[in-house]
Amino acid sequence: MSTKSEQVSRVDNLKERWEPRIERFRRGWDRYTRHRMGVIGLLILAVYILWALFPSVFAPHGTEWRAFVGSDTSAYLTPQIRSQLPHPPAFGPMFGDEFFAPLGTNKLGYGIFTKMVYAARSALYIGFAAGLLSSLVGVPLGLISGFYGDTWIDELIQRIVDVMYGMPFIPFLIVLVAIRGISTTNIILGIAITSWLNNCILIRGETLSLKERSYIESAKVAGASDTRIVFRHIFPNVVPLAFVFLAQDAAVAIIAQASLAYLGLADFTTNSWGLMIENVKASGFIFTAPWWVIPPGLAITSIAAAFYFIGFSVEDVVNPQD
Amino acid sequence: MTRISARYLAKRLVISYLTLLVIMTILFVLIRSMPGSFINSMITREMDADQIRRLREVWGLNEPLWRQYIDFIINYQTGEFGRSPTQKVSVWSLIIRRLPRTLILFGSSFIVAYTVGPLVGMYLGWWRGSKKDKTIFATGLTMYSMPSFWIAWIFIWLFDYELEWLKAEFMLDQFASFAWTPVTAMTNVLHHIALPLISMSFVGWVGAMLVMRPSMNNVTSQDYVFLAQAKGLSERTVMMKHAARNALIPVATQAIVGIAFMIDGSVIIEQVFSWPGIGKLMISAVMAQDYPITQATFFLLAVIIVAMRLLTDIVYTILDPRIKFGEES
Repeated sequence: MSTKSEQVSRVDNLKERWEPRIERFRRGWDRYTRHRMGVIGLLILAVYILWALFPSVFAPHGTEWRAFVGSDTSAYLTPQIRSQLPHPPAFGPMFGDEFFAPLGTNKLGYGIFTKMVYAARSALYIGFAAGLLSSLVGVPLGLISGFYGDTWIDELIQRIVDVMYGMPFIPFLIVLVAIRGISTTNIILGIAITSWLNNCILIRGETLSLKERSYIESAKVAGASDTRIVFRHIFPNVVPLAFVFLAQDAAVAIIAQASLAYLGLADFTTNSWGLMIENVKASGFIFTAPWWVIPPGLAITSIAAAFYFIGFSVEDVVNPQD
Repeated sequence: MTRISARYLAKRLVISYLTLLVIMTILFVLIRSMPGSFINSMITREMDADQIRRLREVWGLNEPLWRQYIDFIINYQTGEFGRSPTQKVSVWSLIIRRLPRTLILFGSSFIVAYTVGPLVGMYLGWWRGSKKDKTIFATGLTMYSMPSFWIAWIFIWLFDYELEWLKAEFMLDQFASFAWTPVTAMTNVLHHIALPLISMSFVGWVGAMLVMRPSMNNVTSQDYVFLAQAKGLSERTVMMKHAARNALIPVATQAIVGIAFMIDGSVIIEQVFSWPGIGKLMISAVMAQDYPITQATFFLLAVIIVAMRLLTDIVYTILDPRIKFGEES
């Protein structure tokens, strides 16, 4: 039967356990905000997250809007209209119709900016899904490999990593997608299969050094099981580092997906920045429609850079170098 | 070179070989796990049941799986990649013609990237925390985030379409007169390789820089660097001769990952520039559902990576005289 005092002591206990962590987080945050790069990264990411969550707020039109004909999906584009597409950026009414396309339109008359905003969701989805998946594989394997360093378990995991490093990354994705079918899920799985290696190796190194600390020794002496030591005492200390690699994996995944889209191996029913660049090339406007070529590339660059900026700033907070 | 014992080299060779065996196995599993069968793409409307049976016979699909696996492994080790169903020639002849072209592009951009990257990383690590360091580091990361095909198209637009300085397609002028001398051929290739080379190393150098910078920074606080400075050696000598040589060792380790990264880049860049190499062959084979070529090109790229890793290992031992491989320490 739980009495009131017991509950209070539990709350106290929780507070006692969490307070230093919150304090540490606050100090880390203070250090983080001193990196201009990291702050810029967070801001860029925030913009894209907002785009992904509320695209209709940021996009000037819905996805079905086309230049000159508006949101009427069944409207016919006359040859006279077609000859004006892709249209450069336009800001005013034209032909009596509201025509606002801050980044111009593509060959079918869809607004580039609208497409960009709506594609943020798929880019973030691929980044986070692939990043999380590869962390979910790489971090536990790295922990196990580091904790049982120099035993057959470590040896086995390291050999697997070694072999996987011999695999060309994009070609593997190409073969996988070509064989298993072109779908976003397959692409994410393929990226996760090949990108957990870095996480594993670096988490292993960190675990190897953490293992020698005296508090691990005392936990061992106190009779804690291996599982408890790994997940209770070592894991919380590698979380920030794991986060760094999650961010890097997310960046790699977004670029990889864009590359696959460029090679024609992406789900053509979805909307993505890589696909937009592929469309420019396929319709032959790459030299004449810079408003169509440059924004999607900049979007990919900036989102991947945001992930790298965040990752490297967090890394600097975790292991200060100066 | 004497530092590398024969035993160590033999061990690395065996490991490389085993790696390739595992990759072959993965390839086999991948191809056999595809929905339907890989000869589906070769079956045309005009074929009757008998011809389809013969097709299965030719590709060995009627045999038990273990038998197919052993055949596959043996064939791949002897260079028997089969015949391409779309191009009607042996896959080996297609690949071997393209291998040197891929190696030229990949090798040269690897050299450029791994010369520029460590040099920049050396300067940034030496002056870590300065304004210059922060700016160049952030710029480098931004370059690292650029999709290589996009930046390649921008370069093509700028240097080929607008300025007409460099050529953006193929490896040699197409339909040119055939009075090639070695000199004209070389200049022509240089004219064509410049853009893909720039595009590939534009993104590729950052990987080495990212490793060199912290490594250099660690080295700068070592006693021997301090001693060298105290001896009155110029800063340049200390940085280049004393600090950088030791800081290079993690870069050699990173190169193992970097090789795979550059191979990825080369596949995409070959596609953008119509560079007639293995990557381009692979993409067109995937598009045409030509599985024998797809498998063989993938395997060959893996062989390139494994071979380069072996080479990196040897370079590693030359760089670091403290490491004596194959000897008990």
